[in-house]
Amino acid sequence: MSDIFTMGIDIGSTASKCIILKNGQDIKAKSKINAGTGTSGPDRVINSVLNASNLNLNNISFIMATGYGRNTLQIAHAEMSELSCHAYGAHFQFHSARTVIDIGGQDAKVLRLDENGMLVNFVMNDKCAAGTGRFLDVMARVLEVNIEDLEDLSAKSKRDITISSTCTVFAESEVISQLASNADKCDIIRGIHHSVASRVGALARRIGLKEDIVMTGGVAQNKGVLSALEGELNYKIHTFELAQYTGAVGAALFAYKRVIKNS
Amino acid sequence: MRRIKNIITQFEEISNNPKKQLDNFISEGKKVIGCYPYYVPEELVYATGMIPMGLWGKLGSPNKSKEYFASFYCSLVQMNLEMALNGELDKLSGVIHTTLCDTLRPASQNFRVAVENIPFIFMAHPQNRKKKYGINYTAEIYSKVLDQLQEIASYKVNDDDLRHAIKVYNENRKAKREFVKLAGGHPEAVSAVQRSSVLKSSYFMEKATHTKMLKELNVLLSELPVVEWEGIKVVTCGIIADNIELLKIFDENKITIAADDVAHESRSFRIDASLEEKPIIALARQFAEQGQDPILYDPLINSRAKHIVNLVKSSKAHGVVVIMMTFCDPEEMEFPSMIQVLNNEGIKYVKISYDHQIKDFGQARTSLQAFADLI
Amino acid sequence: MVDNIKVVENVKNSRPAKEWLREIVDKVYAEAWEAKEKGELIGWSSSKFPAEIAETLGLKICYPENQAAAISAKHGGQRMCEYAESMGYDNDICGYARISLAYAAGAKCDEKSMPQPDFLLCCNNICNCMTKWYENIARMHNIPLIMIDVPYNNTSEASEENIKYIRSQFDDAIEELEKISGRKFDERKFEEVCSNANRTAKAWLKACSYCKYVPSPLSGFDLFNHMAVVVTARCRRESSEAFEALTKEYEESVKNGTSTWRYDENYRIMFEGIPCWPELRSLFTPLKQYGINTTAVVYAPAFGFVYDNMNEMIKAYCKAPNSVCIETGVEWRESICRENKVDGVLVHYNRSCKPWSGYMPEMERRFRNDLGVGVVGFDGDQADPRNFSNAQYITRVQGLFEIMEVKRKIKDEKN
Repeated sequence: MSDIFTMGIDIGSTASKCIILKNGQDIKAKSKINAGTGTSGPDRVINSVLNASNLNLNNISFIMATGYGRNTLQIAHAEMSELSCHAYGAHFQFHSARTVIDIGGQDAKVLRLDENGMLVNFVMNDKCAAGTGRFLDVMARVLEVNIEDLEDLSAKSKRDITISSTCTVFAESEVISQLASNADKCDIIRGIHHSVASRVGALARRIGLKEDIVMTGGVAQNKGVLSALEGELNYKIHTFELAQYTGAVGAALFAYKRVIKNS
Repeated sequence: MRRIKNIITQFEEISNNPKKQLDNFISEGKKVIGCYPYYVPEELVYATGMIPMGLWGKLGSPNKSKEYFASFYCSLVQMNLEMALNGELDKLSGVIHTTLCDTLRPASQNFRVAVENIPFIFMAHPQNRKKKYGINYTAEIYSKVLDQLQEIASYKVNDDDLRHAIKVYNENRKAKREFVKLAGGHPEAVSAVQRSSVLKSSYFMEKATHTKMLKELNVLLSELPVVEWEGIKVVTCGIIADNIELLKIFDENKITIAADDVAHESRSFRIDASLEEKPIIALARQFAEQGQDPILYDPLINSRAKHIVNLVKSSKAHGVVVIMMTFCDPEEMEFPSMIQVLNNEGIKYVKISYDHQIKDFGQARTSLQAFADLI
Repeated sequence: MVDNIKVVENVKNSRPAKEWLREIVDKVYAEAWEAKEKGELIGWSSSKFPAEIAETLGLKICYPENQAAAISAKHGGQRMCEYAESMGYDNDICGYARISLAYAAGAKCDEKSMPQPDFLLCCNNICNCMTKWYENIARMHNIPLIMIDVPYNNTSEASEENIKYIRSQFDDAIEELEKISGRKFDERKFEEVCSNANRTAKAWLKACSYCKYVPSPLSGFDLFNHMAVVVTARCRRESSEAFEALTKEYEESVKNGTSTWRYDENYRIMFEGIPCWPELRSLFTPLKQYGINTTAVVYAPAFGFVYDNMNEMIKAYCKAPNSVCIETGVEWRESICRENKVDGVLVHYNRSCKPWSGYMPEMERRFRNDLGVGVVGFDGDQADPRNFSNAQYITRVQGLFEIMEVKRKIKDEKN
């Protein structure tokens, strides 16, 4: 029996992620490009995984697209919401996951899954940027640090600083005031992490938490936010190496399911 | 099927072009009265020979109305003022403004002082509407409104005029209720977009005309065979759900609206007025019988959530789609009770944020698609 | 005569009136707890429900709005709001309501506790939100809700139909409360209670009126604290006595040229709106810095219910800031501004209160036009600290100061 290759591509607002899955089990290739919907990102990320796996499009039995830009990919065979894909993708990488917290560039979501990784309930942020990756972007810029450094800097914090505003613009003003009063950047960053954790925590509580809780999405790489969230929710929160690819993994898995179903 | 499409297309043309309707009425020499949400008895306007048209905002962002409102007020009310300030309502001979929520209250004052060229008709419904004194009070405020309308129309209304108006409206309400059921049962013939325009168009039409067309449509729909439909059925709730881009997402995901608890739709035609008593009292009693609406005081305290469950069960829906108007406190305050009851009954729901300013429904698309998958 | 002796005694004992006033409020809570422990039924009431009715029937009442203000002043507001939000209540909803709903649902609250209710008294003259708030509590606790609906006014006087309608509701409320209390409504007691309430209102208004002196013998912010008595205990004889004592203190201050505003009174302003309870210090600081005393507040005299008979009482209850037409609202404020000689107006756009902030932009324009004073607005919240930005507030106050400086310069040059 020859191998079945499926592709899952997650076209987000700020990044494109792609996975090639072999026989619905092994990750053959992965790639991420920091360019999302409406850019060359999706095409480039597809080429990247094909090159890395020494395959071409004809070898791929099914391409499933997800993410904000999922309707824009011509070559996709089908598309599914990133909610279902994140659920399934998280389950694949962390079998005991029953709650998934995903903080993306522009939104935040909390998913509940059953033991098979199927989505049973979800809640998304409403109204604004607070509690999303965008919030961290704005703050990082004000503090003149790189997003990637937020985690390490917050770990050095020695003092509690609260950034309480619900509104991102007001929060920015709070941060600036703190800087003007010579507060330590590390302390401010930890306060910002708590702010995000507070917003996302409220979202999570609305849907109810069930262990194991897993965090996915770009912001999952920031252990500062993760540990703030653990403190906020009083639960252990796990993450895993390919957290950013969760949506793409889930899409590739659903693609495989389709192939099996069709044959 | 072709005749069905034909009628629906006519409804769509009307619903997408209220301005054209207004212009037509004016050119026919008719006077038009704008009616704010909620529960304005259009019969009072109809009885004078004038045409009532619904004012439920329009798509777009407030601009001029920002001189009157801070940002945290619902877009429906802000866009109504916006339309007025842009001169879009200039041809109206009057506007009936209600006060049933904390936005409508100060909005009434804003409208009255900001829009000097349109006669302002104030209507403050009572909340203790069910007791006899409440009904009497409602009748009294309705009479006051009628006085103003009569003056604008230069026509003195008698009980027969009112009774006739009630009859026309009862028939229209009945036809709409029938349509909601039929459309819910025939998603292959009536999409969510089309369903909305059939109901919405009535706000811009002379009611008897709307009824005639709708009755014909209903008969044709009832003659259709039942078709296997692989989508899910939902009950929608909220203030308004007429945004075509949003409704397209329902259709894309084969989500059928089996029943609704939407102020713009079923909430406005659930209850008929009696022909057995003095008309003004009958209309007051009609308002007294309204209920299960977040915007109305509920003396039974628990009615609304139970109503939603009943709607879901009787329409055999799979779940509830809550279209939450941003900044709408009455809807927000009824939400926890409703979801508690839905959770107890094992009925799934999804909440989508809505306002008239939204152009990109990416988040709603994701939510609805996932909801459909879930079920 | 007897009352004067008590007042004089109090002055002799030189307990400051503000302490007396605070004790009266403490007593309201303490008596409610006592009653609850004895197994009596206690009620929660909206701040402008006709308190005279429950008082006549000897029922102990607590006020969730007052509790929410106290909780948020003690910095428990955010926690309670978050609890409500986790129950599904949107953060768009009034902060008082969120705090109260959290409390009613059993959220722990050390800042200000009060016994859970056995019945609810709701009057929507201050807002429609009240109705939903109290319905939710009635649902949670499965208890009776007594509703007095006061329709919004488009004219300065309530109509005859309004009064008739509201009167019927009063009668219903009395009937239901008779059942709840197990007592008969005593007309004579009612007269006495109304007399007390009137006296309290008059004494309160008298005290507030001292702001008209230049310099003012009081910081307007004091009134925000003292008003708790007129909200929670206006039917008690003691309340009028305490306000009369307060007035005497102000009288003394005027004579001696002292004030509870211990800073420079360079400018005088009206503070429009409910204060930001969790941020009182932040509100105060730049005002202090620029020598700006608050000599007119709308929120406080809004509780001056003065009436001679039942009809007038009903009319009085129709006049909440959030139920009057814009002309009445403007007239009310402009007359306080004139009487109390303000140089500027600071408008709080209270995120928690849609009816209050609803016609504020138009009112601002009218103030500028009719009074010729500087008017500046800022974003805040009566109870949720997350809706306030200190940096924005400071900038706005500074802006107001600069405008008042310009206006003064122009005026001086004219003279």
